[in-house]
Amino acid sequence: MNRDAFARELGVLVGDGNVQGVPVTAGEPPAWQVAPGSAAEVAEVVRRCNRDGVAVLPVGSGARPTRWKAVAERPRVHVAMRRMDHVVHLDETSLLVHVQAGLTGAGLEKVLVPRGLSLGDYPATMLGSTIGGMIAVRTPGKSSARHGFLEDAVLGVSAVLADGRSIHTRVAPRRATGPDLARALCGSEGTIGVITSVVLRIHLKAEARLLAAYVLPSFDAALAAAYLALREECQPAGLRVYDSAEARAHLGDELALAGPALDDDAALLLVATAGPTDLAVCDRDLVTSAVEAEGGAATDPRLADAWWKLRGGDPRQVPPPSLQVTATPSKLRAVYRAVRDAARDAGATARAHVSRFDAGGAVVFVTLVADGKPLDGARLDAVRATCEQAAGDAGGWLLGARPAQMDPYLAALRAELDPNGILNPGALS
Amino acid sequence: MPRAHVDPDRLRRELESLLGARRVSMRDGDLDTYARDMWPRLLLARRDGQLPEHRPHAVVWPETQRELVALVKLARSLAIPVIPYGGGSGVCGGVVPLRGGITIDLKRMQAIRSVSRDEMVVDVEAGLSGERFERELRRRGYTFGNFPSSIYCSTVGGWLATRAAGQLSTKYGKVEDRVAGLTVITGRGELIETDGPSRAVRGPNWTQLLVGSEGTLGIIAAARLRLSTAPQLEIFRGFEFDDVAAGTEAIRRVLQRGLRPAVVRLYDELDTFINSLGKKAATGDHAGAPITTGYGAPHDLSAAPVPMPGEGALPVLPRPEPPADDGVVSRLLAIARGRRRGLHKEAVGLALDHAKLVNRIAGTVARRGCRMVIGLEGARIRTEVEAALTFAELAHAGGRDTGEEAGWAWLAHRYAVSYRMSPTFRDGAFVDTMEVASTWERLMDLYHSVRDAISQHAVVMAHFSHAYAEGCSIYFTFAAHADDLAGSRRLYDTIWRDGLEAVTRVGGTISHHHGVGLLKGPYMAGEHREGMAVLHGLKQSLDPDNLMNPGKLGMAAAPTGVPRKEAS
Ligand SMILES: Cc1cc2nc3c(=O)[nH]c(=O)nc-3n(C[C@H](O)[C@H](O)[C@H](O)COP(=O)(O)OP(=O)(O)OC[C@H]3O[C@@H](n4cnc5c(N)ncnc54)[C@H](O)[C@@H]3O)c2cc1C
Ligand SMILES: Cc1cc2nc3c(=O)[nH]c(=O)nc-3n(C[C@H](O)[C@H](O)[C@H](O)COP(=O)(O)OP(=O)(O)OC[C@H]3O[C@@H](n4cnc5c(N)ncnc54)[C@H](O)[C@@H]3O)c2cc1C
Repeated sequence: MNRDAFARELGVLVGDGNVQGVPVTAGEPPAWQVAPGSAAEVAEVVRRCNRDGVAVLPVGSGARPTRWKAVAERPRVHVAMRRMDHVVHLDETSLLVHVQAGLTGAGLEKVLVPRGLSLGDYPATMLGSTIGGMIAVRTPGKSSARHGFLEDAVLGVSAVLADGRSIHTRVAPRRATGPDLARALCGSEGTIGVITSVVLRIHLKAEARLLAAYVLPSFDAALAAAYLALREECQPAGLRVYDSAEARAHLGDELALAGPALDDDAALLLVATAGPTDLAVCDRDLVTSAVEAEGGAATDPRLADAWWKLRGGDPRQVPPPSLQVTATPSKLRAVYRAVRDAARDAGATARAHVSRFDAGGAVVFVTLVADGKPLDGARLDAVRATCEQAAGDAGGWLLGARPAQMDPYLAALRAELDPNGILNPGALS
Repeated sequence: MPRAHVDPDRLRRELESLLGARRVSMRDGDLDTYARDMWPRLLLARRDGQLPEHRPHAVVWPETQRELVALVKLARSLAIPVIPYGGGSGVCGGVVPLRGGITIDLKRMQAIRSVSRDEMVVDVEAGLSGERFERELRRRGYTFGNFPSSIYCSTVGGWLATRAAGQLSTKYGKVEDRVAGLTVITGRGELIETDGPSRAVRGPNWTQLLVGSEGTLGIIAAARLRLSTAPQLEIFRGFEFDDVAAGTEAIRRVLQRGLRPAVVRLYDELDTFINSLGKKAATGDHAGAPITTGYGAPHDLSAAPVPMPGEGALPVLPRPEPPADDGVVSRLLAIARGRRRGLHKEAVGLALDHAKLVNRIAGTVARRGCRMVIGLEGARIRTEVEAALTFAELAHAGGRDTGEEAGWAWLAHRYAVSYRMSPTFRDGAFVDTMEVASTWERLMDLYHSVRDAISQHAVVMAHFSHAYAEGCSIYFTFAAHADDLAGSRRLYDTIWRDGLEAVTRVGGTISHHHGVGLLKGPYMAGEHREGMAVLHGLKQSLDPDNLMNPGKLGMAAAPTGVPRKEAS
């Protein structure tokens, strides 16, 4: 392969200003970053790469660049989606939006919110990612108690396959025409195709939003109250359970609103309900009754305001969690306890909150501390390892788990669609 | 399509050594029975006394997953197909063994393995009958919430294999919305379990890639399905709208406000009209009955008529008696006014031979508005609040409340419509249904285009059911008549061709819940276009020898395992 000629060809395809060399260490094959401006250009680039077996690495916001060590022996092209950030079509009748893959969640909200619309009650932290990146990676946490997992909001996907063919899955509310082919792209981490656009469900801005805060005698009681309410069909827009240490760390001074110092064993339950006013009130009251049934009581709602601001990305410093464990409803308590015990045995303290409730369970976010400070460095790695072990033993699922059983099937699917193995060769293997 | 070749004696020996003689059959009667499902096109041929074109080589009744694995491995070693068979209630020819093979009836695998209150999931084997499944769950205080009209004659595995929808799907979702994981024996003869118990796992969602695969990728042996608490409260109501546009607009508003009625059905003018002919007699049973409040009212599955053994589920049409054209309208109206039992049949018979005319008058004479049935169920408090908001929204959108009775009457007879009809067609008449869907933006386009396309050939009526925030499905029922089998088949195929081409033209989906089978195979390329590459990729991955229900979902029936020539 003639490097210069190849770079020039890329320039012809996407415009010279949109091709850049990527620095590589000596002896490594060359790498470029291209920024196509349309799905057609993506297709051209991929087709061109396929001809010479050049690896194609889609890049969203670039928060988690694919590890590509596995393919360091071949040239590669990073396909940056940043120029593809348009809203293609906003269908306010069906509440659907067709967006290019490079638009970020936050960028989309900027278009939607002034029109009284929204992507939904998804965690604000996720919205900095591109739509394509969010859909391409299945991680827990991209979910909401009201709207489910983000990939459930995907009604259609357009993508470019390894040979440059474009596919567009037909948009319909539901269908019975074989497997849901869009799901082959969702979670495929760029290995099945480059996602160029997505059709997503959106929602009318809620007529009312209510926030409430509750104190419960224990973490277990708080979880029990949460599930009691969910079983009465309460559909909160946001729901979080804090243990007392985590509540202190996250809510700080505001916690004084909850009255005299929070008991060490106590837990905080925060909820946002939304929808038509009557329904939002109904849902909040369901939580209140559930809390009372578990021996807790409502506290100052300003505490919930503080939480909501924090959740919405208030710049206040909250260290990123040391580990995240997903667990089904019956395993949450055991996971929490196992991690706490493991941390204690390792001479540290684990504090935690549970959120991202959905039909399949919720996520336990754990921060490991010692002497009042979050752990870091080698110490963090060591304690985290034992905590992860304990969480797994207690039935939790660590971030990034993969069912090994399906590996040969995924490999065969990839081999069929991408015989030259150009698409994100290092990912998911 | 050439039939797979296998020595019958060897096949019998091998199968019997796996399952014992009792659970293997190669008898003609069984092979004929398992050659078909409830696809009307097959019933046409049967009415004509024709033997099935494609029969399996053998039918087997395994009881364990280990036996399923062994069967697939055996089929691979013999290079003959495997056809999973649930209740055989499919309406698209999904179980037809195009190359013969081993038809695996899953109905002996019907255990409910566990019900978890904490997780709100049930682990259930695929062969369990839908009605027994729901009855067992109710006994324990839960519901799965899937109530297809075929609940008595379909299985949980069949539902998952076809992406079935129940009557209360607007609240509970279609089956694919309720599945947490599957146990599948793939075409490679391996047992896999899809997805972890939660969404933590990376990679594509294999559950959603297997749900709806209609037996072409593997055998669904068991599933983990999400449960809801059995409803504490049911509220039903009837409404009436000026026309379908006003009615669908009202449904859209309700759904987009975040309200989730369990069921909302809107009948178009002709459906409303024809229904009124039959229903008048039926509602008579309710006259004077106290209005039920619905508190704690159970779904009384036992109240629905159970089909007789061997009786089909599809409708018979009475012999048409062609009257003078100008007499049709007045006679139909007389029937409508007369409200006499038995006249329903006559009306349909009349209508059939005057398809275009009837379709035309539907829009004018029968402009009596569109009937809507709406029901909410669930936890007591929330359901009450939602019902009040929902009814207010419907009224606001121009709906006229026609009272509770209209809603409860539908509930009481909701399975009857499928079975009231008799097992055979007569004299070249046939009935079928086409269930399609689109986003709200295209829904009226879809309705008019498909209706126009079908009404060139048949009497067609429709109702809107299965609503979502982003769109809705339309269920067309059509009836037509031709003089002989060849003519009926031609007409039947033409109706489907014109109807589905209209669907694709306006950007709807060719099937909302009946699946593809053989019937819609030719239209899959139009539906998915280049996306078929992904389906073929899945097929290659999960069933490299093309032995799992070959020739379905628009994929080739021919074996892929053509012996390779040695390179010389
Ligand atoms: C190993 C790993 C760990 C993660 N850990 C966390 C975590 O701890 N917490 C959390 O909230 N989220 C986590 N995520 C999720 C992820 O960072 C974001 O949620 C989001 O998916 C990234 O979006 P992005 O726009 O930044 O994409 P990028 O970070 O640029 O890309 C992410 C992956 O998706 C692929 N990709 C991006 N765009 C496309 C496209 N258009 N078509 C096809 N493929 C594409 C990339 O090739 C890459 O493999 C993790 C992801 C991975 C892969
Ligand atoms: C009167 C009547 C009313 C109906 N009403 C509805 C309705 O309201 N909603 C609705 O959705 N459908 C309805 N149907 C259609 C039909 O009942 C559904 O498609 C049902 O899901 C089929 O289930 P079954 O067990 O009968 O499957 P079958 O007909 O036996 O099989 C259907 C397809 O699935 C495959 N299959 C079956 N079991 C498995 C398995 N365990 N693993 C892999 N593949 C398998 C078969 O090979 C075949 O391709 C109706 C049918 C009739 C006759």
